[in-house]
Amino acid sequence: MTAEIHHCKECVDLLGEYIEGTLPPDRAKALEDHLSLCPPCITFVRTYKATRKLCHHALVRDMPRELMHSLSSFLAERVPGFKRSEDETVAAPAADSEPKKV
Amino acid sequence: MLYGRAPLPEIHEITPEEPRADGQPGDRELVEKAQKGDGAAFAMLVERHQRQLYRLALRMTGSEADAQEVLQEAFLNAYQKLPLFRGEAQFSSWLYRIAANSALMRLRRKRRAPDALADQPLELAGPKFSAEGYLEPTSSSDWSQRADERMMSGQLGAAINKAVDELPEDYRTVFLLKDVDGLSNEDIATALDLTIPAVKSRLHRARLALREKLGEFFDEPAK
Repeated sequence: MTAEIHHCKECVDLLGEYIEGTLPPDRAKALEDHLSLCPPCITFVRTYKATRKLCHHALVRDMPRELMHSLSSFLAERVPGFKRSEDETVAAPAADSEPKKV
Repeated sequence: MLYGRAPLPEIHEITPEEPRADGQPGDRELVEKAQKGDGAAFAMLVERHQRQLYRLALRMTGSEADAQEVLQEAFLNAYQKLPLFRGEAQFSSWLYRIAANSALMRLRRKRRAPDALADQPLELAGPKFSAEGYLEPTSSSDWSQRADERMMSGQLGAAINKAVDELPEDYRTVFLLKDVDGLSNEDIATALDLTIPAVKSRLHRARLALREKLGEFFDEPAK
């Protein structure tokens, strides 16, 4: 038996886990049922998601290339056989993508 | 900084490693080679993880110069401790912990920090509810549609920077690592020696506080 969500506060409390997809299915269903009846909470969800998106866009930083070079030089002097990378721009997963699981 | 310095994860037995989608050798294979003295394998590990470690160091220290030194120290420390790594934890998590400890030591040399988060008074903004638990109208203005239009606005960028700077340090670090840098809750918990529920709680409260600040920004007439 799924416990219903009657109040917005409970909806807001569960939002973090809901948008990351980690909320148990019965609670997610209860939250969606509440959203279907509560325009203020729909607005709240939209602005909560937009907050993440805007902050990510404004604050994302990648490692400066000069720092990669200096780190590589530092380690090459101290680790036997350490090879400086020819192309240090070969990207690991970048931070300039959107936050996942939104 | 308000995190306690944490011991490295205990390491017991090796679990199978998932193959990488890009066909490159996995971390464990590279670690095993590096443990046998293959410096090129260690270089590949550095190249693979340096960006995330940089973000962690930058978020914890708040300084580009400190982040650089933390990175150097952490990778050198990891190389020296490599014989102790047996593969129970993911190599990346082990590395995050080493870097986080290095950042903490650096911060403590600069200023004395409390050892625990629990006693910190918390004043974070959040939505307002009626006595019955319903959202107050002031908490439900929909500015999300305008967000895309003003994404590139310098004023918005400044407002975001200010709002994030005003978060308590422990909340700010968790928020930046998760929502800006894309670390997993598990990696954040490992690096900062927090429980996963604590990470989730701080993250959610930080988002709520930032949402309030952004709401205030969008409610102001555009200048």
